[in-house]
Amino acid sequence: MTSSPTQALAVAAQAVAASKIYGSGDTEVRALDAIDVAFEQGRFTAIMGPSGSGKSTLMHCMAGLDSVTSGQVIIGDTDLTTLSEKDLTLLRRDNVGFVFQAYNLVPTLTAIENITLPMDLAGSKGDTEWVDEVVGATGLADRVKHRPNELSGGQQQRVAVARALAGKPQIIFADEPTGNVDSNTAAEILGFMRSAVDQMGQTIVMVTHDPVAASYADRVVFLVDGKIVDELLEPTPGTIRDHMTQLGA
Amino acid sequence: MFKLALRSLIDKKLRFALTTLVVVIGVMFVVGSFTLTDSLRSTFAGLAQDIARGADLTVRVDQTFGGDFERATVPEAVAEQVAGVEGVDLARPELAALNVFIVDRDGEPIRPPGPPALGFSFNPGSFFITEGQQPVAPGEFATDTVTAANNDLRIGETYQINGPLDVEPFELVGLFNFGSPDSHTGLGQTMAAFELDEAQRFFGMEDGYQAVGVLVSAGADVSEVQARLEAELGDDYRVITQEVDAAEQEEDFNQVVDIFNTVLLVFAFIAVFVSAFIINNTFQIIIGQRVREIGLWRAIGATPAQVSRSVITESAIVGALSTVIGIGLGLVLALGLRAILEVIGFPLPPGPLTLQPRTVVLALLVGLGVTMVSSIAPAIRARKISPVAALSQDFQLGATGLRRRLITGGAVLAAGVVSLAAGMTAGLDTTPTFVLLGVGAVLAFVGMNTVSPVFARPAASALGRPAKAFFGMPGRLGRDNASRNPRRTASTAGALLIGLALMGLAAVVGESVKKTVDNILDNAVEADYFIQSAATGFGPPPGFPARVADEVEALPEVESVMRIQWAFSGLSVEGEPRDIVAADMTLADDHFDPQVSSGDMAATDPLTSLALHSDSAESLGVGVGDTVEATFPDNQTETLTVVAVYEDAAIYGNWLIDGALWDSHFNRNDLAFASARIAGLSGAAGEAEQAALLQKSRAAVNEVIDRYPTVKVENQAEFRQTQESQLTAIIRVIQVLIGLSFVIALIGIINTLSLSVFERIHEIGLLRSVGMTRKQLRRSIYWEALIVAVFGGLLGVAVGTVFGVATALALPESFVQVVAVPWLDLVVFVVISAVAGLLAAILPAIRAGRMNILDAIAHE
Repeated sequence: MTSSPTQALAVAAQAVAASKIYGSGDTEVRALDAIDVAFEQGRFTAIMGPSGSGKSTLMHCMAGLDSVTSGQVIIGDTDLTTLSEKDLTLLRRDNVGFVFQAYNLVPTLTAIENITLPMDLAGSKGDTEWVDEVVGATGLADRVKHRPNELSGGQQQRVAVARALAGKPQIIFADEPTGNVDSNTAAEILGFMRSAVDQMGQTIVMVTHDPVAASYADRVVFLVDGKIVDELLEPTPGTIRDHMTQLGA
Repeated sequence: MFKLALRSLIDKKLRFALTTLVVVIGVMFVVGSFTLTDSLRSTFAGLAQDIARGADLTVRVDQTFGGDFERATVPEAVAEQVAGVEGVDLARPELAALNVFIVDRDGEPIRPPGPPALGFSFNPGSFFITEGQQPVAPGEFATDTVTAANNDLRIGETYQINGPLDVEPFELVGLFNFGSPDSHTGLGQTMAAFELDEAQRFFGMEDGYQAVGVLVSAGADVSEVQARLEAELGDDYRVITQEVDAAEQEEDFNQVVDIFNTVLLVFAFIAVFVSAFIINNTFQIIIGQRVREIGLWRAIGATPAQVSRSVITESAIVGALSTVIGIGLGLVLALGLRAILEVIGFPLPPGPLTLQPRTVVLALLVGLGVTMVSSIAPAIRARKISPVAALSQDFQLGATGLRRRLITGGAVLAAGVVSLAAGMTAGLDTTPTFVLLGVGAVLAFVGMNTVSPVFARPAASALGRPAKAFFGMPGRLGRDNASRNPRRTASTAGALLIGLALMGLAAVVGESVKKTVDNILDNAVEADYFIQSAATGFGPPPGFPARVADEVEALPEVESVMRIQWAFSGLSVEGEPRDIVAADMTLADDHFDPQVSSGDMAATDPLTSLALHSDSAESLGVGVGDTVEATFPDNQTETLTVVAVYEDAAIYGNWLIDGALWDSHFNRNDLAFASARIAGLSGAAGEAEQAALLQKSRAAVNEVIDRYPTVKVENQAEFRQTQESQLTAIIRVIQVLIGLSFVIALIGIINTLSLSVFERIHEIGLLRSVGMTRKQLRRSIYWEALIVAVFGGLLGVAVGTVFGVATALALPESFVQVVAVPWLDLVVFVVISAVAGLLAAILPAIRAGRMNILDAIAHE
């Protein structure tokens, strides 16, 4: 196994012996099995694994959308397992960004309103210069007054990424952000996420089952049966496919 | 398809329950009203038979029109003649009078709040002594066992009794059951019975009897005796059998039951009408949510007809189940209403509830019919769903274009307005007027609801502006969601609209009546004191002893007293019964100015004079100096000369005769109303002197009034206040009853909001994951409800105001002369509907808050 050469970098989020168990006795399912994983700041990590491997569960637990059965989940200096429902919500609002596969935008709000939504919920103006910069980076500056249904699928996802970026969160979680779009659009979205890491220093964790999408990341973590079984640095679609074939075999 | 429909219902229990509940309420009202009134009818039929059982035959003066108490009396000589006819074993004269109040030992008159206080001559045929003995001498009376028990009246004690003429003390000598020896049959009336001659004297009916009851000799044939009596007495008299007597009594009772039934049915109709909106709305939303599922059916081979059939089957199941539950709850409602009636003073005799087949059929028609008709439009929409819908992400269900809505809705609305306008101008004949107004109102409601989606979005967006401005993102989202689907917003608001429009209508009409009374008090009233019965309750105040007016008139401080009596159908002119008022015509102008436009009331012989409102004069084509043939309830016809025509019908109605003419044709001696003017008041110099005069005269008048426990006196200010508070009370009762439709509208809002929240589950999941707190989420739903409710409230109040003004203009001038709009009340109604909206949002908001974020995101 390759040891991580990036221990020098600060950790944005980590799981320590995190387990998530559904049911009990004979019907017990270990979705996460005492996972230890850390996501470094300023890096783009992909989580891969076959269906039912627990990759989405890991992401939900790391992001404070779901709770672990045992172990710890830490974002920055905060142990999520100690937070109340309300504090978890506020943490998500202020410190975490999200990009989902679909239904990313509120249909009644314009693109720019969707981007500033977490700040509006917090009742703060946010950093308007930064928001302008993010909007500029999406390349949608002339379309921000439009409603989501007037935007293409790719444009919608770029708005979603922009929303995740706008609040300068400690970490962004993306769940299959390109699962619903064609390959050109996917490249457009992933390129935008890549540049957010490179040029804005963002931390992104993305769940995907697409080797091409995962190849945009700096590091790929492989999950099987709730355990981390492998990881890969500087991945290419080819190396990722090889690893997956090995894991599947 | 039936299986699919059933499964879809079982899967969505809450939605099913809410829809069912709405239908149940409608059915419940229909069943409740019919069951109660059917039960009342059968009870009254029994009561009527009990009452009639006292005599084999009854002899009365033949009466072509008018009430029982206005009928001419049977002279004593005729009663003796009856006794002499072959086969007559006993001829028992009968007397009855209204407003005979027993005063309890604390000096309080015993007044049943609804039913009358009656006086009788003691009739051993239907009064059965249970304790003591029957009254046989002057100064004695008997009362019914229930009145005695309720008011602790004891045999041997002496009580004051208010008769039509005076107050006198009587000793209670016996208690009786009415109708049957075993139990008292009554509807809450109080009964005081006197020896026959004493009753004649006390009631002021010395010259005859109201009826003569006949018992036939043993072995005699009743119909032969009837024939002999008819031959002996001639056409002026009617001889009726026990059966006919019972049937006539029953008919009288049924007239009351019919009014009651109509009132209940109006509420049932409102409930059903409001329900129909909500059911339709619910089915529309459900279809919208099931687009994918239906698309899948279509993809795997279901035909459009099968799809719409499944929607209609689903509604049929809801309708059938609701009808069954509604019938059950309707029976409970009937019992509840009976209990409420008893509490407010109309104790109904106990009896089994009658559920007639007709009621069940109606319940089915309403429950099943309304539900299925409401599902037709959604079913048609469902069949247009294509198989592709199952596959595509954002399939939007086609809906009637807003432009088409504007056109059809506008047409219906216009038809409604035309009908309303026709109703307003239809003139004095009130029945077609109100039919036109009713049809117009229903059309206008439907039209309004078809059109309202067109302006639902701009309205909701405007109403939501403050929410957005002051309450940040939750307010903003609430506003957006309210204006997102204008059809849904409009039809949810529509349920509120109906109730509020009716409340608004009642408020405007009520305020106009109030202002009219104010106006009359300001301009027409010249008298200083007003004397009437102190008994308050339902209906017009009862009469009071005529003696009071005599005593007040005798006071040196009093310049004049005017006595007023009145009767529905007290006069027949050109074959039409007319309501009449009797007053001293020499004083009529001085006490209340009716704005005489021609002639002079006091000019000629009061026994042949008639004064008319200009409307009546116009429709008869007569003027001052012309003569009118008028028949009285005692069958006598007089030629009356029109001496004056006046413009203000508020006090004297349309037909006014002199008290002297009344006395010669009517047996009722109690007064309905009297007014007094103070001597020297107009000549008094300065306010101080006037005040002193008023104070002195009030003391003197009070001294007289205090001797009569059932009578009260009021000055102008007090009189005005009493009139206003009575009107306000009536309007409030009506509004509270209409407010019931609020409950249904509330369920409608809960329903729509729950379904909308369910529909937006992804969005809510998203909002929660990017950091919307539960509190913020709940708040956005409250805002949404608030905006929808205020929209409905404003529309309702606007429609209600228009309807109210229309109705006020249509009402005859004797009710409404000034059209007034109670702005404050209308604002309060909008606030009430806002509060209702917030209440309705509580449940959906809590449910939305509790929603698991992951489920919401993952939801398919």
